[in-house]
Amino acid sequence: MNTGSNSEFEQRLRRQPLKPLPGEWRAEILSAVAADVNRRQNNRQEPTATATGWSWLSNLLWPHPKAWAGLAAVWIFIFALNFSMREKAPVIAGKSAPPSPETVAELRQQQKMLAELIGPAEWRVADRQRVLSPQPRSARADILAA
Amino acid sequence: MPPGLDIERLYDEHAQPLHAFLLNLTRNEADTHDLLQEIFVKLARDEKLLHGVRLERAFLLRLAHNAAIDLMRRRGTRDRTRDNFAAEMVSPFAPADDPDEETFRHQLAGALAELPPEQRAVAHLKLWEGLTFEQIAAALEISPNTAASRYRYALDKLRDRLRPLYEEMK
Repeated sequence: MNTGSNSEFEQRLRRQPLKPLPGEWRAEILSAVAADVNRRQNNRQEPTATATGWSWLSNLLWPHPKAWAGLAAVWIFIFALNFSMREKAPVIAGKSAPPSPETVAELRQQQKMLAELIGPAEWRVADRQRVLSPQPRSARADILAA
Repeated sequence: MPPGLDIERLYDEHAQPLHAFLLNLTRNEADTHDLLQEIFVKLARDEKLLHGVRLERAFLLRLAHNAAIDLMRRRGTRDRTRDNFAAEMVSPFAPADDPDEETFRHQLAGALAELPPEQRAVAHLKLWEGLTFEQIAAALEISPNTAASRYRYALDKLRDRLRPLYEEMK
């Protein structure tokens, strides 16, 4: 790179005068700034109901922001927990719902078929009663051994 | 006006260089006016903005640069074509009486417009504001090395683009 030529070129560029700032802009811009400041001051003097509400809330929360934030977090946690429990409730109810009449009929049919296959229920009941009825210790031992 | 801030003094001291910088970046008189107004409105709204600022000029140039870049990004999504941009392009240089000089300024304005905005900003601040690379780095929130390399790239491109005319005029 030719530094001397570069420097000469830079000097040539530096000598190019930039466009001057239009004189009328000063009044335009400064009056726009003044108008903006006045508008903002007027808005500040007449606060709206919403602004007043926010201001009151801000004053209330400002002394202990961390405490309020913590309380808010606890409430959010409680709501979240409550919401998740509520979502699970229908599932539990579904599980404990009574069987439909068709299912009951089907079960009865199967029970009947089972009874026919393994014999009369009265015999089994009588037999069970005989086995479990109180008997002398020696007799119970015989039954268990059999 | 806020009592602690003298907007008129700020305007008188800094508006000219801010105008030249913004015009070189936007190449549009109306946009330059709007951005300049936006900067002074911002300063008047928040008088703390200049608290603790050591170099007012560098700080204001940073505000101007950010405002111009924001505008160009917004515009970039609307008019992508370079032709639209070139059609309304305004030169940042004062008109010259000498026709050769006028041609050179016109060519220089065109060559600057072809530079990426970040190189153009550095070239402008170095050549026409006379800032050091450290001051440019502070104004544009980049490192001094980045400022120096951007300037070198910009100068190489300008020299290549203007070489025939420059050699002829020498």
